[in-house]
Amino acid sequence: MTELQQRLATGKGKFTPLYEDLDTGPVSYEDSISPEFFEAEREAVFKRSWLYVGRSERLPRPGTFFTRELKGLASIVVSRRKDGVVNAFHNVCAHRGNKVVWQEHPQEESKGSCREFACKYHGWRYGLDGRVTHVTNEEEFFGLDKDSLRMPPVHCEEFAGFIFVNLAPDPVPLRTYLGDRLLELEAYPFGEMTQHYGFSAPIRGNWKLAVDSVCEWYHPPYVHARFIDKDIAKAEKMVPPPDSYHYDLFTPHMLTSVPGPPPLPPREPGTAGPAARDQKWVYRLFRAGLFGPDDVPDIGPLPEFLNAGNIKSWGNDQFWLFPNLSVQIWARGFYITYTYWPEAVDKHTYDIDLYFVPPKNAQERLAQELIVDSTIEFAMQDVNTIEATQQGLSTRANRQFHLSDQELLIRKFHKTVRDTVAAHGARDAKEG
Amino acid sequence: MSTTTLPAQFAELEQWVADWARPTRQERYDMRLSKKYDQLEEFYDAIAPRAEEAIDYLNGRDLTDLADDDARLLQLLYSMILVSYAVNVFMQPRIPDSGAAFFNTTAEPAV
Ligand code: FES
Ligand SMILES: [Fe+2]
Repeated sequence: MTELQQRLATGKGKFTPLYEDLDTGPVSYEDSISPEFFEAEREAVFKRSWLYVGRSERLPRPGTFFTRELKGLASIVVSRRKDGVVNAFHNVCAHRGNKVVWQEHPQEESKGSCREFACKYHGWRYGLDGRVTHVTNEEEFFGLDKDSLRMPPVHCEEFAGFIFVNLAPDPVPLRTYLGDRLLELEAYPFGEMTQHYGFSAPIRGNWKLAVDSVCEWYHPPYVHARFIDKDIAKAEKMVPPPDSYHYDLFTPHMLTSVPGPPPLPPREPGTAGPAARDQKWVYRLFRAGLFGPDDVPDIGPLPEFLNAGNIKSWGNDQFWLFPNLSVQIWARGFYITYTYWPEAVDKHTYDIDLYFVPPKNAQERLAQELIVDSTIEFAMQDVNTIEATQQGLSTRANRQFHLSDQELLIRKFHKTVRDTVAAHGARDAKEG
Repeated sequence: MSTTTLPAQFAELEQWVADWARPTRQERYDMRLSKKYDQLEEFYDAIAPRAEEAIDYLNGRDLTDLADDDARLLQLLYSMILVSYAVNVFMQPRIPDSGAAFFNTTAEPAV
């Protein structure tokens, strides 16, 4: 063990056997390659779960709106009404079904600010709540009940500045869905972190395989070897030992906390040393690394719910909000969200959004730039692994795979998806 | 007559402005991918020795109200960060084994 590993090791034994609903046997990845499963998953999971569609800061004033293309699910408009409430509705005209809100390209998302939405086809208009306010040549229609006409509503609720929608007719309230453990998130000052970077990548792989890739720290010495150490044997030793992570599975959601390196100590300007072709020098110069800035912004005392496992050198908490959102709160005062949007059994869109406190000067701005760039360089390496895994799995040359104790979250996540699909199927069969 | 588009004390970096003082990350990334590896080394080796001085200089400016010259200097530093992975980590412009992977930018700060 290296010194780092010794310092972080907890001496805890295995985690997986602690969870009674989890076995330790081999797993099937049929859930990531079967088109039938994909369709069932869309019905049981995505059409019935609360789905994160954007931060509240995107709707700063009444009249502001954005659209989301949830491929294969819905095209929705999310708007802030005059009374300040955020609501959502399907982007479909009550007249002949035209998509109402778009600019230039109907298939692209849009955003803006307005008093009313006007359909580009025949000029019907809708209020910020989706209700019809104007029917062109109304008198020519037959028995129109204008008051009931609208773009179909979608359940929409805000939590801690995160806007969620639910496509089910009668979902449980968002707060019930999140449960006590996640409600604690509300104590975090998300709203202060308005410096926003967003990225989106098309990936030729099942969305769950992408989730898997951030749920374990088994792969970094190999996939990210060059970042850690060119010598893989050394890289292996630099990664904290498996028992230094903290896990908490509270179905359907889950949490893992990750150790991280301590920030660099304060440094007098002019002491970075001579320029070198050495990334450690770059980190020292810009006072940041993958785990955050060295000059941690003052966002007040950290809410108590963070680092529940008391990791000695805490790096971040990753909250997995079932099904497709991860909120990663980093020890050094910023947060990242990962969102995964399936499009086909072997295709999804992966969104990464990073949020910081607005920088006060160039030094802070550059530190954030470095964190963003590092995150994306790492993510690009992960993306290709996901595509390679999809290809390997889809041959079905092998149908049984093996998960170690440090891949606990993956075992749990796939089980939760499979269970949700099975439960929905059973309900369907009963209601027949 | 001044021919530099950078703050006067950084005039010697002028030759890097045309390629690397670009306002969006996407443009900077595209530039990185369009260069030969030794061109990236040259750029890195030119900017890195002046980087600490440039940070110090820019720290004295109002980030929300940067003069064009100052903004270009800042953009050179953004490019240096982006190029640093290629030069110090990957020893090539593209991330090894990253195939066709790419990330579109959907949001980034104005400056
Ligand atoms: S389809 Fe919208 S006004 Fe006719
Ligand atoms: Fe990774």
